[in-house]
Amino acid sequence: MKKFLYLILFSLLTFNFSLFTVTGCAKKDDVIKLGVAGPMTGDQAKMGTDFRNGVDLAVAEWNEKGGVLGKKIAMVVSDDQHDPKQAVSVANKMVNEGTVGVIGHFNSSCSIPASEVYNRAGIPMITPASTNPQLTERGFDNIFRVCGRDDQQGAVAADFVTNRLRLKKIAILHDKTTYGQGLANEFKKALGNKVEVVHYGGIIQGDKDFKAVLTVVKEKKPELIFFGGIYPEAALLVKQAKELGIKTPFMSGDGVIDPKFIEIAGPSAEGTYLTFSPDPVKIPTAKVFLDSYHKKYGDHGPYSIYAYDAANIMLTAIKDVKSTEGKKITEKLHTLEFNGALGTIKFDKKGDVTVAPYVIWITKGGKFEEYR
Amino acid sequence: MIKKFIRILLLSLWFGAITFPFTGIRNAILLSISIMASLILWNTLSKGIIKREGIEIVSKRIQTFSSKIPRRILALFFIFLFLILPLFMNNYFIDITNLTGIYIILALGLNVVVGLAGLLNLGFVAFYAIGAYSYAILSTQANFSFWASLPIVILLVGISGILLGFPALRLKGDYLAIVTLGFGEMTRLVLNNWDSVTKGPNGILNIAPPEVGSIVFREPIHYYYLILIFVILTTFAIKRINNSKIGRAWVAIREDEVAAEAMGIDTVRMKLLSFSFGAIWAGLGGVLFAAKMRFVSPESFTFFESVIILCMVILGGLGSIAGVILGTMILVLLPEALRGFEHYRMLALGAGLILMMVFKPEGILGGPRKRAELRPDDERIYMQEIETIKK
Amino acid sequence: MFFQQIINGLTLGAVYALIALGYTMVYGILQLINFAHGEVYMLGAYLGIIILGFLTSIGFTAISLPLAIIITLVLSMIFCSAYGMTIEKIAYKPLRNAPRLSPLISAIGVSIFLQNFVMLSQGATDRVFPPILKAEGLTFLNARITYLQIFILIASVLMMVGLHLFIMKTKLGKAMRATAQDRKMASLLGIDIDQVISITFIIGSGLAAAAGVMVAMYYGLVNYFIGYVAGIKAFTAAVLGGIGSIPGAMLGGIILGLMEALGASYISSEYKDAFAFGLLIIILILKPEGLLGRQVGDRS
Repeated sequence: MKKFLYLILFSLLTFNFSLFTVTGCAKKDDVIKLGVAGPMTGDQAKMGTDFRNGVDLAVAEWNEKGGVLGKKIAMVVSDDQHDPKQAVSVANKMVNEGTVGVIGHFNSSCSIPASEVYNRAGIPMITPASTNPQLTERGFDNIFRVCGRDDQQGAVAADFVTNRLRLKKIAILHDKTTYGQGLANEFKKALGNKVEVVHYGGIIQGDKDFKAVLTVVKEKKPELIFFGGIYPEAALLVKQAKELGIKTPFMSGDGVIDPKFIEIAGPSAEGTYLTFSPDPVKIPTAKVFLDSYHKKYGDHGPYSIYAYDAANIMLTAIKDVKSTEGKKITEKLHTLEFNGALGTIKFDKKGDVTVAPYVIWITKGGKFEEYR
Repeated sequence: MIKKFIRILLLSLWFGAITFPFTGIRNAILLSISIMASLILWNTLSKGIIKREGIEIVSKRIQTFSSKIPRRILALFFIFLFLILPLFMNNYFIDITNLTGIYIILALGLNVVVGLAGLLNLGFVAFYAIGAYSYAILSTQANFSFWASLPIVILLVGISGILLGFPALRLKGDYLAIVTLGFGEMTRLVLNNWDSVTKGPNGILNIAPPEVGSIVFREPIHYYYLILIFVILTTFAIKRINNSKIGRAWVAIREDEVAAEAMGIDTVRMKLLSFSFGAIWAGLGGVLFAAKMRFVSPESFTFFESVIILCMVILGGLGSIAGVILGTMILVLLPEALRGFEHYRMLALGAGLILMMVFKPEGILGGPRKRAELRPDDERIYMQEIETIKK
Repeated sequence: MFFQQIINGLTLGAVYALIALGYTMVYGILQLINFAHGEVYMLGAYLGIIILGFLTSIGFTAISLPLAIIITLVLSMIFCSAYGMTIEKIAYKPLRNAPRLSPLISAIGVSIFLQNFVMLSQGATDRVFPPILKAEGLTFLNARITYLQIFILIASVLMMVGLHLFIMKTKLGKAMRATAQDRKMASLLGIDIDQVISITFIIGSGLAAAAGVMVAMYYGLVNYFIGYVAGIKAFTAAVLGGIGSIPGAMLGGIILGLMEALGASYISSEYKDAFAFGLLIIILILKPEGLLGRQVGDRS
C-alpha cells in the first residue's frame, strides 16, 4: 500500500513538475504581458470584473493602435479571490510569466503582501483601488496607486461636513473592513473636536439587516450618518433607515458610487452625499472612456475608470522609456505626468497621487452628480 | 432496455427543468442533452470495461508491482528528490510547494482529531489563526524572534485546544461539529473586532522573518527548506504517536467509546489530548504561514478554510498519513494547475466531495479495513430482511 | 426604541424560524444536519427575483401585484421542493447507512456546488429585487412597521400553523412522526420510509424557499452567498428550540431574532453574528436537547 502511494506521489510530482516547467518557459517575448490581479471569482467577483474590463479596454485601444514597442499587449488575468495567500501565489506566478507590470490588486489586504513579491522582482505595480495608507508607507519605490488614500478621502468629507454643511452631531458607521473602517477612522480623525460624534460603531459586511443599529442611531438624533463601506450595505442602510422613518442624510465614500446603489435603495438613495473623484462625464477623455466601456461591457463599476487609467499610465511609461525593464519603468512612473480619464495624474515619492482626486457628490433624481 | 432509456430521459429532463430558471432555456436544454449522453455512455460502458472490480484489479497490479521496490530506498529517494527539487523550480512553484507544506502540517494535525480520535472538528482553522496571530503579535509588539516565539505559541495553542476540548467533551458527532464550527467563527469575529490587539480588519503587517545565524529568510527557497523540515518532523511525530499506546487508544475511542472505557482507557484525557495535540500542529502551521506571508488578516481564517483542510483529510483517506499528504497535494496543486478554469474549480470541488462520499468514502488510499469501517453493511442487510418480511 | 427593536427582531426571527423548520424536520427523521439547507433558501430568493422579474416583464404585476407575489411565492416553493428532493436523492440517500461523517461532508459538497452553480449562472453581482414595493407602513408607540413586515409575519405564522396541522392531523404527518421516532419500526409497520423522507425534504425546502422570497422582497437584494450565514443561524434556532421539535424551531427562530436585534442595539453591532454562535455553543453544552426538545440519548 505504502509503495503504491509513493508511486502516485511520484507521478503527481512529475506531472506538476512538467506542467510548471512547461508553463514557465513557454512563449517568449512576442507579446508584452500586463498583469491584472483582483478577485475574479468569489463574493467580490464584481469588483474584479470591473477591474479587468477597465484594463481590457485600455489594452484593446493600445493594440488597435499597434501595441507598444512594436509588440501586442497581452493581459494576464489573475484571480486572488481576495485571499492574501492566493494574492502572493498569483503574484509569484505573474512574475515568473514575465509580466512587465501589474495592475492590481483590489483589496488592500491582498495588495500589501503581494507588493512584497513585486518589490523583490522589481516589477512596478499600480493599484486602482487599494486605499489603505499602509500600502505606500513601507518605502517600496515600485508600488503606486491611482486612487486616493483613506486619509485624504476622510479629510475631504470632514471638511465638507464641518465647513459647508456646518453640522454639529454626526453618527459614524463602518463595515469592519480595511477599507470601510479605515475611511471611517480617517473621517473621524479629520473631524477633530469641532463636531460631536454621537455614535461610532461597526456593522457586519454581508449582513442584510441593519435595523437594530439604525434604531440605536435614530435615538441619538444625529444630523448626518457617515458610512465607511461599499454599496450593498450602504444601499440597505439608507433603505432601512427610511423604513424606520429616519430622515437624516447619509454620507459615504467612493465604494458606494455604483449604479447598483441606486438600484437597490431606490428613492431612499436620494440626498446621499459621497466623496469621489471629479465627474468623469465632464472630462472629455472620461466621456469617451465611459461610452466605449458601456458599449463593450455594460455599466461601469466604481473602479473601472481607475483600472483603465492605471493601465494607460503603465503602458505610457513603457512606451516612453522604450524598455520593459522594471527599474526604468518605475523611474519613469515617478516623473510621468499623465492626462487620463480621471484628469492629470502624477505620483509623489511614495507612489501616491499628488492631488487627492476627491470632490463631493450627491444622489439626485436617481443619478449621481457632483454637488455644488 | 427501453425502460432504462425512458428513465434516463426523464432524469435528464428533470435536471433541465429544475435548472432552467437559473441558466436560461437554451443552456438547460444543452445540460439535459449532455446529462443524457453521459448517462447512456456510462450505462453502456459500465457493462463492459469500467467495472468496480476492474479498477480494483488494476490498482492491485500496481501495488504488487511497486512493492518490489524496497521501501527504504524509495524513502531516501524521495527525501533526496525534495532536497534538490527547488533547484529546478521557479519561485512560483516553490511558493505553491511551500503552501502545500503548510497545508500538509495542518491536515496531518486535523487527521489526529478527525481520523484517529473520530471527533469531527469544523473549527480547526481557529487554532491555525491563533497560531498565526500569536506569532504576529509576539513579533511585532514584543520583538520576539521566530525561534523564541515558536515554543510560546505552541504552548498557547495547546492550551486553547484543551480549553475548547473541555466543554466539547460532553458532545458527540455532529453536535460537536457544530460547536467547533461556532468556535471557529467566533475566533474570526474576535480577530476582526478586537482592534487594539489584532489591528482588526487591517491585519498585522511587517512580521519579522525567521533568521538562522546571519541568514534572514526572505526568498521562497528559504522557506522551502524551513517548511520541509517541519513537514518531515510532523510526519515523523504523527507516525510515531499513531503507532503508540496513545494512538491506539484514540482509535479505540473512535471505534467504540464504551468498550474503550471498559478496557481502562481514560477517554476524557485521551480526547483532550487529541484536541490539543491536533491543535499544536495547526498552531505550527499558523506560525509558518505568518512568517512566510509576513502579514496576517482575518480573511485567511474563514470557515471555508476549515472545510478545505477537512477535504484534504477525507480525500486521501481518513486516518492514513500517506493519504492525507496525497489529498493535500491534490487539493492545493490541482486548482493551481487548473487556474484557467477558475470559475469551474469550486463547482468541481463541490461535486467531487459528493461523489467521493457516495462512491469511495474511505478515500483514495483507504484500505479494505477502512472500507469495512466506513461502510457498515449490517444495517443495510437488516433493512433488506425487513423488505423480504414485508413481501 | 425597545418596541422598535422587538418589531425588528420578530421579522428577523420569523425568517429564521421558517428556515429552521427544514433543519429540524430533516434532523428529526434522518439525524442529519442538512448543511445544504441554507443554499435552498438562497435558491428560493433568486427564484423569487427571477420569477417576479419575468411576471413584471410580461406586464402581469401591473394587473395585480398581490397575485403576482403569491404566484412568485408558490412557483419558487415548487422549484425549491424539486431541488430539495433532488439533493436528497443524490447526496443523502446513498449514504443513509454510512457513518455520520459522510452525509455531513457530502452536504458541504452540495452547498459549495449550489453556491457556485448560482454564481456561474446568475453572475457574482448582487441581484436586485424589482422595485415594486414601497416602504409604506404604520407608526404606533413611536415605532414603525412596514406593510411588508406585516405580510412576512402573517405569512410565516400561517405557514407554521399549516405545517403544525399537517404533522398533527394528517396520515402523512403521522407517518413522519412515526419515522422520526423509530425508522426501523415504522418501516416494519408498512410506512414507506423513502417517501416520508422525500416529503420531509420537499416541505422543508418549500418553507426555506418561502423564507428566501420574503427576504428578497424585504431587503431588496440577494447574492449567492446569503445561504451560509442564514443557514447557520437557522440551525442555531433549531437547536435552541430543540432539534427535531417543530414548535421548538419556531420558538427558537423568534428568540434568536429578538436576541440579535437587542444584542446589536444594547451590546455591540459588530458582534451581531457572534451572539448566534455564542448562543449555539452555550445551548449545545448546557442543554443540548434545547428548550422544547425531547431528551435524546446518544448523539454520536
